[in-house]
Amino acid sequence: MTKPAPNTSEKYDLGFANWVYENVNGGDKLGLCMQCGVCSGSCPIGEQMDHGPRKLFMMIRAGMKDEVLSSNTMWNCTSCYRCVVRCPRSVPVTYILQDLAAKSVELGYAKPNENSKFSNSFWWSAKTFGRTDERLVTAKYYFSFGVVEGVKRGLDNLKIAWGMIKTGRMHLTMPHQIKDKAGLKAILAKAAEIEERESKS
Amino acid sequence: MSEKKKFTYYPGCSSQGSALHLDESLRAIAPSLDIELEDIEDWNCCGASVGHIGGGQLPNLSLTGRNLAKAQERGKQDVVTGCAACYLNTHAGNEKIKNDVNVRAQVNEALSAADMEYDEDLQVRHMCEVIVNDVGLDKVREKVTNPLTGLKVAGYVGCQTVRPFAGTDGGGNYDTYDNPEFLDNFAEACGAEAVEYNPKTSCCGGSVAVMSPDRTLHLIKTIVEDAVEAGADVIATPCPLCQTNVEMYQDAINKKYGTDFHIPVMFYSQLMAVAFGLDGEKDAALHRNTIRSEKLEKMAK
Repeated sequence: MTKPAPNTSEKYDLGFANWVYENVNGGDKLGLCMQCGVCSGSCPIGEQMDHGPRKLFMMIRAGMKDEVLSSNTMWNCTSCYRCVVRCPRSVPVTYILQDLAAKSVELGYAKPNENSKFSNSFWWSAKTFGRTDERLVTAKYYFSFGVVEGVKRGLDNLKIAWGMIKTGRMHLTMPHQIKDKAGLKAILAKAAEIEERESKS
Repeated sequence: MSEKKKFTYYPGCSSQGSALHLDESLRAIAPSLDIELEDIEDWNCCGASVGHIGGGQLPNLSLTGRNLAKAQERGKQDVVTGCAACYLNTHAGNEKIKNDVNVRAQVNEALSAADMEYDEDLQVRHMCEVIVNDVGLDKVREKVTNPLTGLKVAGYVGCQTVRPFAGTDGGGNYDTYDNPEFLDNFAEACGAEAVEYNPKTSCCGGSVAVMSPDRTLHLIKTIVEDAVEAGADVIATPCPLCQTNVEMYQDAINKKYGTDFHIPVMFYSQLMAVAFGLDGEKDAALHRNTIRSEKLEKMAK
């Protein structure tokens, strides 16, 4: 039996690539990628990614939308920016991965994972208090896995927390917060509204 | 720089928590460096490296927009921060707003919901870049009254203090990305010895280390191990998250790898505070490190 010949019209759907070029932060520079692999080779935890950035970028060009948006690549980016400063074609790799992560949540591809749960806890604090309360972000994050896992993670880190409390680096009173919480809330709501409007236009 | 220079200071959220000792020691050494710091009134979180995922790109950028609008109330002086993530977000956001009229219009439309506007062209700078470019190493040396003679320091710069802006015009062109020298120079200006240290700009895992330490303990192990092998008494860093990660996970590393690491991780500003003859607790905040440096504490006034 002969192998079916690759159907180029199916394999290479430029629609997705064009969507990335136009909608993802830094995506307009993706066409410059020459597949050298410096990004993947420079990545501190690239070995934990389903695909390194180089391969992911080729998959974008090959129209593999589902595989790209459901991969764990962007969730393993530590934002070290080594790929950004090393890329010989000045592709803003980190920025692209960061926005692909946001887009994969927005479009419903990302299953809840440690990074998305942490991001939600983080944003909750920034939005509610105007500041990151490290204690509450951590606690909310731990308990986003359920009560049992939350307690387990809390106990695992008890010694660290105690060290922070003893040195005054974790306070035990009310969260630090900005004075004009109402103003910030209005700004963030307006910004979300503008983003929604712009994505439709 | 002989006259005092004023900056608008953005302390960032960690200044009230895990990196209290960076904030305290920076405020303590600023007068010696002829720097006057005026806080951004009612500053907010910068969004760090995950804000855009929970909140979306424009809401996340609006956090920076609000800080810049508040900063411009202080005048046209440069904005400075000691935090790597605050610097990265605020500097990058500011450049984006300044260079793209559409982005500026969108951010200002969002800010108008609280009757605010950012219409200035401020500069957002990192404290280390200010010390290198505006203050100068000579001034640092001149202020040392209590040289840290015999203290061996591994200069761990981390990522975001230098990447991706240290080699750009906007970032002050103050050092390189892979082999920066400023931190070693700070240590030596303080009379300490900067040891040969390879993982200067290796990643500690950043926020991934906070959310899933198992994925990144091996990164921190290298950072600690190389410092110990180089004979360092302390690791010095400019980055709040690097300081906390590299300090707090040494127990977990020892447990996982059967090692016995226990090396203090200090901020460069704590070293400077001690070297400038300031108070070891009130100014250098040496009591805030969970792994304390007896050697440095003995040197402190």
